[in-house]
Amino acid sequence: MRHSTIASITRREAIARTLGLAGAAAMAPSALATSPHRKQLLVLFLSGGASQLETWDPKPGTKFGGPFRAINTSLDGVRIGELLPRTAKIMHRLAVVRSVNSNLPDHEKGHYAIQAGRLAPGYPVLGSAVAKLLEQPGDILPGYITLRRDGPKAYTDTGDAGFLGAKYEGVRVINGLPPDNLIVPAGINAAALQTRDAARRAADERFLRTHARSPINGYGTTFDQASALMQRREIFDLKAESPKDVERYGRHDFGQNCMLARRLLEAGVPCVRVVHFDWDAHQDNFYWHQMRCAEFDRTFVTLLDDLEQRGMLEHTLVVVTGEMGRTPQINNFGGRDHWGRAWSMAMAGCGIKQGVVHGMTNDLGTEVKEDEVGIGDLFHTYLTALGIDSSADYHLNGQTNPVADPAAGPIKAVLA
Amino acid sequence: MAGAGLSAEEVMPLHAQIDGLMTKDWAAAKITPAALSTDAEFFRRLNLDLNGVIPTPTETREFLDGQQADRRPRAIDALLSRPEYALHMARVFDVILAERRLPAVKSYDVAGTAWRGYLAESFAANKPWDVIVREILASDGSDESQAAAVKFYIARDAEPHQLTRDVARVFLGTDLQCAQCHDDPRFDDYKQADYFGIYAFVSRLSFFRDNKLNRSFVGEKAVGDVTFTSVFAANQGKTDPRLPGGKMIADPIMEKGKEYVMAPSATARGVPVYSRRKQLAAQMPRAETPGFSRNLGNRLWALMFGRGLVHPLDLHHAKNPPSHPAVLAAIEQWLVLHHYDIKGCLREIALTRCYQMSGELPGGAEPPVDAFAVAAMRALTPEQMRWSLLQATGRIEANFLRTLEQLKKTKPAEVEAKLKDWSWRKDGYELLEKQSSAVIAAFSPLPGTDDSKVDPVVDHTLFLLNSPKIMELVKASPGTPFDRWAAMSDPVALAEDVYLSIFNRRPIAEETEEIARLMTSAKTPKARAEALQPLVWGLLLSAEFRFNH
Repeated sequence: MRHSTIASITRREAIARTLGLAGAAAMAPSALATSPHRKQLLVLFLSGGASQLETWDPKPGTKFGGPFRAINTSLDGVRIGELLPRTAKIMHRLAVVRSVNSNLPDHEKGHYAIQAGRLAPGYPVLGSAVAKLLEQPGDILPGYITLRRDGPKAYTDTGDAGFLGAKYEGVRVINGLPPDNLIVPAGINAAALQTRDAARRAADERFLRTHARSPINGYGTTFDQASALMQRREIFDLKAESPKDVERYGRHDFGQNCMLARRLLEAGVPCVRVVHFDWDAHQDNFYWHQMRCAEFDRTFVTLLDDLEQRGMLEHTLVVVTGEMGRTPQINNFGGRDHWGRAWSMAMAGCGIKQGVVHGMTNDLGTEVKEDEVGIGDLFHTYLTALGIDSSADYHLNGQTNPVADPAAGPIKAVLA
Repeated sequence: MAGAGLSAEEVMPLHAQIDGLMTKDWAAAKITPAALSTDAEFFRRLNLDLNGVIPTPTETREFLDGQQADRRPRAIDALLSRPEYALHMARVFDVILAERRLPAVKSYDVAGTAWRGYLAESFAANKPWDVIVREILASDGSDESQAAAVKFYIARDAEPHQLTRDVARVFLGTDLQCAQCHDDPRFDDYKQADYFGIYAFVSRLSFFRDNKLNRSFVGEKAVGDVTFTSVFAANQGKTDPRLPGGKMIADPIMEKGKEYVMAPSATARGVPVYSRRKQLAAQMPRAETPGFSRNLGNRLWALMFGRGLVHPLDLHHAKNPPSHPAVLAAIEQWLVLHHYDIKGCLREIALTRCYQMSGELPGGAEPPVDAFAVAAMRALTPEQMRWSLLQATGRIEANFLRTLEQLKKTKPAEVEAKLKDWSWRKDGYELLEKQSSAVIAAFSPLPGTDDSKVDPVVDHTLFLLNSPKIMELVKASPGTPFDRWAAMSDPVALAEDVYLSIFNRRPIAEETEEIARLMTSAKTPKARAEALQPLVWGLLLSAEFRFNH
């Protein structure tokens, strides 16, 4: 297994790579690809809840099927919604689960539970958990960065690091803007900054002698993260991308955020999440899904192609999910409502078996018929795909907590 | 009830009860608690918890040099009687009650000064919690004396589902959200019928904006029944208003056409003759309502310890019991016996040895956070951060010095009274609030997140390192402590003043040496101020400042 060499990377090499002393962004992609690479995670979160019937699990011609057709894909005998024509051509590279039963027809709870892999509150979400579990000595950039446009309903940010603490909290990049305050203020000289930072470090060192407490270490980490972000702020700069590439990803927030996600992964950020908003189609579901799917389809395939060409896909797990699906029943406004009982999600890349469709719903799409999958099972699957022992425990602050719900387990059929 | 038949005074004081119970729990868990805090540790923590800000160097000196054996209880009483107590509690309960939420149209919000003014007045008068809650739930924005209390509804757009969830979370400590769609599979005690029982109290409410008066109100209809269906089972239910564990309250039969004091229309909010909202205000804030007293006790504990005995604060249920059930029960019982005396309860908690413990670890290992066996290490809340940055950099004292000098000139007879008047102090703070809004913006979590869950993140640190707003505070400008520091040529005296100002304690030898080294080549006041500036900034960035410990 090529990834086993990760352990042998020296601390100095790891720092050099994370900091990109020569500027990782300026490095040829192939140069990055040739060195053995740590595993990474990319979550594409379809916030509001995409309709499984208009995407991965179409039921054309049935009572609740809606107006769209199903189309053939690159996988024999597998058809998906016609709104995803480009995705259909790369189905042989994906694993799709059509039998998710999360039982949570609610945005806020769904966002938390799907991302945390359980209902119990206070746990880290996937990005934070993986940031912790894949942490390596010498890591300086934040372990988890989350990208979205500004929106009134930011419940995607629910939960985050939970008991893991500040160090693993997702750093928010909103509207593609890098975090605020990345530049040293004008009118202060380097010597004064040095005195300031030395005074802080000396004070913290003295305080830690008597107060060796975990929140203080967490706070100290935010200074390392801040300095890494300040040094590497060019990774947020999409102006470095060619106009042709900007066009390929799409000139909309999801497209641009996916391009930024690729840059961040290349720069060595272990976990990145991109939120695609406005799937909550209680009215005019079919019109909305035409628009949402058009954005998603092109960008998703572009992104996967890029990750593959750059040799990143084999060490990057890509997860496509929302917080729930949408009701088979079509309401009086032509909408589909909140639904958690039988819906779909997809995965690709690191640790995932290609060209698998797992599970099945009944003819009307109202119930799971075969191979039901719960939110805990999905969480186990993500961790296992990334080479993490999902039966392990966190030991923190005198408490022991399982990394994944012990009552669930990985879906073997979708794992490579 | 242990206190049955006895007057409140005959029972062991609450602080002694708590210490006895905690000691028993620690022994059972084989945990060695931390030693008693130093005076400096205690005084800083107490100021942050009861007044929301670190103390001034003068106050700290006075306390540390005090010789009386009862200086701690005296300090507790002094801080509880200051106007700053009321102002701090208003900020704290603004966050608890409104959770930094804003209505969909931000300009329709209740004016922040009016809302916090209402709360400050309530806490200055030590209004019992049930009275405050009753006023908040009863206000529709019209009664002048309590108009601002309508903020609880307005911040949530008077949206019935949001209100249902938050009435249960904020006032009863239970989150019924999952029970909206089905009986919550996590917890046996969250029933869909409970959710809709509360929902029925608020389902007839709606937000109403009076464009002529430029004010927001809550309107209410006289009709509308609540039915619900589980998404799991085919259960159907119909419910009248009902509190968890209580009885349904049926509407009285109204004569047709006489249901309204004011019928709802495009230009008028509805005011029914019989209001279910007023029923909620009358029925919920009572000791008989399960969770009402416990929730207050738990939230007051969390204010003093940064974490609830039940944690998270809004998830009390059978599978998430209190870490120290007897302690919570004792506080709950005390609150009922003392008619929800918030100030008195905080006083009792502050008197416990448990509260007055050191933040230094006993024997090296870190005990579990829910053992409360060592002083909690909690990040300053956004509000504590704002006021403590302003205090450490002398801005609060300078601001009041200016207005006080003016007052001494114009109305010398009023000086004494004004100093004790929370509303006079409030006006003084408002100016500072405007100047420091960037701190709140940088440190506030998302709406709906309670402060006990706010950890430092990299965004906060970047703000403290690089924001031009921080530069303004740490600049050696006139009218700040830098004037005083620049004039001190003795590094020992200087180090003491700097450390008392920022860390609220005296420096240790190596800290004095550090300052002396920094000052070796700085011989003029100007040079001293310049040399000191980066050090002061460094101390403000340190963990000792960033945390309440």
